[in-house]
Amino acid sequence: MTNIVAKFRDEAKLVSALTMLKNNKVNLVDVYGPYATHDILKKVTRESRMPYASVLYGIFAIVFIFGFMYYTSVIDYPLSYGGKPIFSFPPMVIVIFLFTILLTTILTVLTFHARANIFPGKPLKNPDPAITDDTFALVIGQNYNPEEIKEWLKESGADEITEKEIQ
Amino acid sequence: MIASSIRWPMVKGEKSNKEITRELIAPNEQKPAMWWYIGMTIGTLALAFGGWAAYMSVTVGLGTWGLTNSVAWGWDIINFVWWIGIGHAGTAFTIFFLVFRQRWAASINRTAEAMTVFAVMCAALFPLLHMGRPWLAFFIMPYPNTRLLWVNFNSPLFWDVIAISTYLLMSITLWYFGMIPDLATMRDRAKNKVSRALYGFFSMGWDGSMISYNRYETLTRILGGLAAPLVVSVHTIVAIDFAVSILPGWHATILPPYFFVGAIFSGFAMVLTIMILIRKAFKVKDFITAKHLDAIANVLKYGSLVIGLAYAIEVFIAWYSGVSYEMYTFLNARMTGSFSTAFWIMVFFNAIVPQIFWFRKARQNVWSLFIVSILINIGMWYERFIILVSSLAEDFLPSSWTEYTPTMVDIGIYVGTFGIFICGMLLFIRYIPIIAVNEVKAYKKEGN
Repeated sequence: MTNIVAKFRDEAKLVSALTMLKNNKVNLVDVYGPYATHDILKKVTRESRMPYASVLYGIFAIVFIFGFMYYTSVIDYPLSYGGKPIFSFPPMVIVIFLFTILLTTILTVLTFHARANIFPGKPLKNPDPAITDDTFALVIGQNYNPEEIKEWLKESGADEITEKEIQ
Repeated sequence: MIASSIRWPMVKGEKSNKEITRELIAPNEQKPAMWWYIGMTIGTLALAFGGWAAYMSVTVGLGTWGLTNSVAWGWDIINFVWWIGIGHAGTAFTIFFLVFRQRWAASINRTAEAMTVFAVMCAALFPLLHMGRPWLAFFIMPYPNTRLLWVNFNSPLFWDVIAISTYLLMSITLWYFGMIPDLATMRDRAKNKVSRALYGFFSMGWDGSMISYNRYETLTRILGGLAAPLVVSVHTIVAIDFAVSILPGWHATILPPYFFVGAIFSGFAMVLTIMILIRKAFKVKDFITAKHLDAIANVLKYGSLVIGLAYAIEVFIAWYSGVSYEMYTFLNARMTGSFSTAFWIMVFFNAIVPQIFWFRKARQNVWSLFIVSILINIGMWYERFIILVSSLAEDFLPSSWTEYTPTMVDIGIYVGTFGIFICGMLLFIRYIPIIAVNEVKAYKKEGN
């Protein structure tokens, strides 16, 4: 399927085009650009649920590390250090704190890789190399009124409108 | 955020996105200047000296160091604490940027993070070599082993290993993920196949999709949030290494906050030194403006006040405690005795000299900023020297008192870490954009 690709160099014009397309319920695929702003993101996508995943990872990490330390210090090798209690919670707090940050970071980063589908060596699929420089590309999906959409985009100040297949 | 006339501009001049890309990536696309080669030569020579010292430490043993039965922690731990302190600023800047939304930090955080990564690497080398047999360093990690032993979770030294490993990993993660969009820019501008392949590999197929950006921004905010308590905890735990002992001068509850403030203070001073050099060498004064330097100087000014207060409180509590050993360490050994020169250098450089930044002219003069930032780093080195050596060399028993002098091997390892730092930073500025290009583009319209 070919997509309509509209290129903008002015962020303000892109935002106004996005507003218009959204108001007319046009089927958007994605917007590509050199940077993201809050205005663009809230029009193109919804809020990520990654923070909820991180909280769950954090809870898992706390339970896992506490269980690990309890097993090693109390069950597997209960060694008395200078007569101190075998199970002593206060010194565990620091290790739990640090390992929770470590595990949560690792799991959150892995989640990002899985969800955003980016990994070292992934082949490039962006519509234009200028996207990482100064160009925004608005990619439009299948709609019943492509000609009308092109007209709207032209009115919004698109610098270039082409048709291209974007996977 | 709305740009306001009372806020200072983040980027000087009305620059288009294309101009920003060109100006910030130009240093990476040109052949390096002569100063870069001179710097690399100096760094490599320092590294060679350090390599010899490390070789001596490993093959001959720790007897080549200036340590004695009394002063069992010498230059190695002084320099470890010093480098770790410097390593705090990079992540602090990222937290300023991501968590406190201080957008001005966008021009600084990339280089500050690089500084953090190399400083923490340098720091980690000292305890590693201090183990005597660094190839057995993995014994400290809790893993099932044939000795059927687990590590001592009650030991602050174990906490230290975990804190520093976690901090190094977090710093590298924040640094690397922050540069992915810029690596993609480098990939798309690369003129030869090798560069394109390398930048392409490390940019992980980044295509500038807003759906990916949304997840990316969420990820960096989460990492920033996780890094914030970590930064506070790392130097706190380093301080606990000392505070849990019973030595006079170490056994104090003020040490954790005092170490943390000292770390941020010395880290910001090092960032200021590096930023002044980079600003001059790469002609990026439109991006790292005088106002950026002014903002760092303001942090140093207040940091210096807190540090000065901590010094005063330490002395006051030693006197107020009525403990003769504490009083001796602070009022005799440190202030008037064998270590008085180092003590007063520390007080003068850290608590008094930075007060010059109350004057706007001093904050706007690059030379005064540069000199004060260097003096702070010297002062902070003396602070670690004073804390470590004065307490160990003159403790409870006068019969065990000793003098401490570093050997050439001690000095060699310290110089070698400068080699790692200099070479690392020079390779970073050669191949990676020194300023976060995508972030500067995003926030250029905003003021601060």
